[in-house]
Amino acid sequence: MRRTAAVWAGKATGALSRLSGRGGGTTLPGDVARAIDPTVLRKLTGDLTEGSIVITGTNGKTTTARLLTSIFEGMGKRVVSNRAGANLIFGATAAALRSAGPDGRLRADWGVFEIDEASLPRAVEEIQPRIAIVLNLFRDQLDRYGELEKIAKTIEAALESIPEGAQAVLNADDPRVGEIGLALARTPLWFGIEDPEVAMRKLPHAADARTCPKCGASLRFSAVYLGHEGVYECPNGDFARPAPGVAATHIVLDGFDSVAMNIGETRLELPVGGLYNAYNALAAFAAGMVLGVDGQYMAERMHGFKAAFGRQEKMDFRGRHLVLVLSKNPAGFNETLRTAVDMAGATHFILGLNDRKADGTDVSWIWDVDFEQLAGKAEVVVPAGTRAHDLAVRLKYAGVEARPPQTEPGRALDDLISVTPEGATAHT
Amino acid sequence: MTKKKNRFTVGWLYPDLMNIYGDRGNILTLLKRAEWRGLDARAIDLGRGAAHGMEDVDIFFFGGGQDREQALVYDDLIEIKQEPLEAAVAHGSVVLAVCGGYQLLGHYYQTAEGERFPGIGLIDVRTEAGKKRFIGDVVVDATIEGIDPSTLVGFENHSGRTFLGAGARPLGRVRLGSGNNGSDGTEGCVQGGVVGTYLHGSLLPKNPHLADYLIRRALSRRGMAELVPLDDSIELAAHAKILQRAQPRAGER
Ligand SMILES: [Zn+2]
Repeated sequence: MRRTAAVWAGKATGALSRLSGRGGGTTLPGDVARAIDPTVLRKLTGDLTEGSIVITGTNGKTTTARLLTSIFEGMGKRVVSNRAGANLIFGATAAALRSAGPDGRLRADWGVFEIDEASLPRAVEEIQPRIAIVLNLFRDQLDRYGELEKIAKTIEAALESIPEGAQAVLNADDPRVGEIGLALARTPLWFGIEDPEVAMRKLPHAADARTCPKCGASLRFSAVYLGHEGVYECPNGDFARPAPGVAATHIVLDGFDSVAMNIGETRLELPVGGLYNAYNALAAFAAGMVLGVDGQYMAERMHGFKAAFGRQEKMDFRGRHLVLVLSKNPAGFNETLRTAVDMAGATHFILGLNDRKADGTDVSWIWDVDFEQLAGKAEVVVPAGTRAHDLAVRLKYAGVEARPPQTEPGRALDDLISVTPEGATAHT
Repeated sequence: MTKKKNRFTVGWLYPDLMNIYGDRGNILTLLKRAEWRGLDARAIDLGRGAAHGMEDVDIFFFGGGQDREQALVYDDLIEIKQEPLEAAVAHGSVVLAVCGGYQLLGHYYQTAEGERFPGIGLIDVRTEAGKKRFIGDVVVDATIEGIDPSTLVGFENHSGRTFLGAGARPLGRVRLGSGNNGSDGTEGCVQGGVVGTYLHGSLLPKNPHLADYLIRRALSRRGMAELVPLDDSIELAAHAKILQRAQPRAGER
């Protein structure tokens, strides 16, 4: 009885907040339902006929969740998943509520939940996942100075507590994730990239997690794929990247348009570009393998995949082709710039930087982004957003000539359009 | 001979470990501003184990790190860097230390449990752990001479409370934010050629006048006191933007 009341109260709140236009009803119903019945998520996910997958990490949660959802839906399964960004326990609860019937039962087969790192222990406890995926641990733009260590410990504890028979699927190329996984009592399934062709030789400035967890020595990288993700080892030989059981080889990058790779016998082509998406596809593929899903089938589903909204989008605007890409931290930003400049040959940019909070946000991480790679290649760069002036300074010291900073997004677009020829492609 | 005279060297202490949030911005700013004055500017990495070339450094930069990283540099700082750093400062080299670096240059850091970790005592400050973390924009009225504008802007994120002894004077007084300890209204410290501060942001890109103050001071020991003025309109516009954001909130208090 209590559970039905919780589900109903939650559903009503969702409808109300959607109507009033506040917050899109994404997490508020979760708060209400949990207040009435704190175990509502545990009960609802217990109704799933197949089970749940939880996905955590700094970058790529949404895309990986969408890929898995698409795989399951293609098999005729009903999938519950939280909306992008609603990745706290309330967001997961709200998602389960949306799919619950009037009797308070969840009518679905799979739960695919993206979960904020700090919420993982609770999510694991309540959702009892069959698979837990850890994508990566990047230093975020968020002001969480000194907390990466704590987060790694939190994730480790959560992974230790996944149900018996459940599988942790971890990124071997991320030293922090490697450290977490190697400490686990049960062996995780590791995934990683094995392709020196797409590697950089040295760590970019944005990289962190560069010391051995055992002896503190600086890690040696024989390949760097993205940020601090690559093939690493301690010079003293007491810590090294675990050999990936699921590996991507023969990677072909085509700007923002596609990335293709071999995973075992399967050739997979994703219609969104960037090495970060190769990792997302690899993670989803590895999870599918654990469940015994056919590799060729997964490749077909992923081939028809549409990018998660807002992360990467293409549109035409007043006769110009615009590509919109969202990056949340230095590593993501660097990879986006690298994709844009080196592979898509982009020359016209709006670079946006926004404050999240009224009392100011630390934007110093932009000094860890290698805007230097735009120097001599970008023809037009418009710094935009509430912190456009900070970007303008950063660009000046990167040797990039920029237009005057624009704090109004509309004005930034007007400015870019005024100097971008028709038919050209601009990146924002 | 001329070549050496024209050289400008920034020594970056522990660049791989003490670079929490864009401290690299301070290095880039020092290098570029020296370069734009026709100097042959370079940065040398002073990682763990390295002490070579410290006597040639004009400006040392010492940033902040996460706890794990800070613990890793601790032994090296005391065993390998302390002596040459003290010698260089005695000969007129300049030091800019931010956050964790600032704390490590003082007498000690005292944890919440009362345990004391001695610093190298290069500056007359001591730090104690505090409960609440100070996070947010900071505006400071600088007390050092000859900088224009007289304000400094940045972003603080620290839980340590730093108190100045008689040998150090504050870098400035906070107009907005918490500064050294949230109680006495001071921010940062200046002691001879050593400047310590809690300001990230990065600090120097939006405070080009402070960058020039450091460069001028470092070069003066080599008899090069004058710096050609630069066009700082982009930097000062960003500086002004922070002042402007701070205005209504500072008025609320
Ligand atoms: Zn080691």
